[in-house]
Amino acid sequence: MTPVHDNNLSLAATQFSPGVEGNWQTGRLVMIGESYPENTYEFFAQIVRWTENFLSHADRSLELELQLSYLNTSSIRAMIDIFDLLQEAADDGKSVNVSWLYDSRNPRASELGEEFKEDYSFPFEIRAFGA
Amino acid sequence: MNVFSASLASLRDFFNGERILICFNGPISRTLIGEIGVALKDHIESTQSRESAAMDVFSVYIEMSQNIRHYSTAKSYGDKDASATVVIAEVAEGHYAVSAGNIVEQADGEALVDLVQSLAHLDKAELKALYKQQLRKPRHDDLPTGAGLGLIEIARKSSQPLEANLGEAEKGKAFFSLRAII
Repeated sequence: MTPVHDNNLSLAATQFSPGVEGNWQTGRLVMIGESYPENTYEFFAQIVRWTENFLSHADRSLELELQLSYLNTSSIRAMIDIFDLLQEAADDGKSVNVSWLYDSRNPRASELGEEFKEDYSFPFEIRAFGA
Repeated sequence: MNVFSASLASLRDFFNGERILICFNGPISRTLIGEIGVALKDHIESTQSRESAAMDVFSVYIEMSQNIRHYSTAKSYGDKDASATVVIAEVAEGHYAVSAGNIVEQADGEALVDLVQSLAHLDKAELKALYKQQLRKPRHDDLPTGAGLGLIEIARKSSQPLEANLGEAEKGKAFFSLRAII
């Protein structure tokens, strides 16, 4: 059997892609930064795979914490794939929730969160930080 | 003044007269798109009080330049045809024009102009509905140009209908240009 810590996901932030930390033990998946990579599909495939794995194998709730100040349209499309997985899990009775954090100086990030939220029924909290 | 510095000086006058903040003409790379984008965002953030202006200009600029990159990569264009012409100018207090042009196949250019014109009739609510609909479509259902979702996003961020033009280029190709006012 694979040791549990091998199931953690860790991607360092770059100018084009957010930092990602998926903790299998605590059930927290955190994404922080901006997202406009050129190969959006490849970048997000790792996160989608981790989320799929967690939702089907870990018997714990999943908390997705997002602090994304900018997403290009390809990244928005990829996030929809992740949210769809969460919705599916929630419909199956799993506990999932999203915290969307935005800098209060960046109203566009708040609107982006709102537009995601309106398509889903699982808990989706939108919260400002900063001044 | 020699010819070289005279033409640089006239370029400078032209840029200043048109209030051009940043412009670029040539083969565009992933890194270059990012660097220009960051410089643009920092500049607008430092001079602009309307908080969302910098993000909107940045977002429109990224969608336009990535559309061009994706298109020329998909067409396997060489450096010359894969060039992008990108201009960001301040058109009025707090308003910016983001323009980008590139070489396209004539038929693709016509499809793009049609799409831009069809978006021009839509109000913000209709654009949002179309955006949500397009978001849920599989990637390969985009236009052959791949530009569907990006163009709708650009239209949503713009304060006026987008302007698109198609001009003649060498070897039966066309030069497509797009302008968004933020």
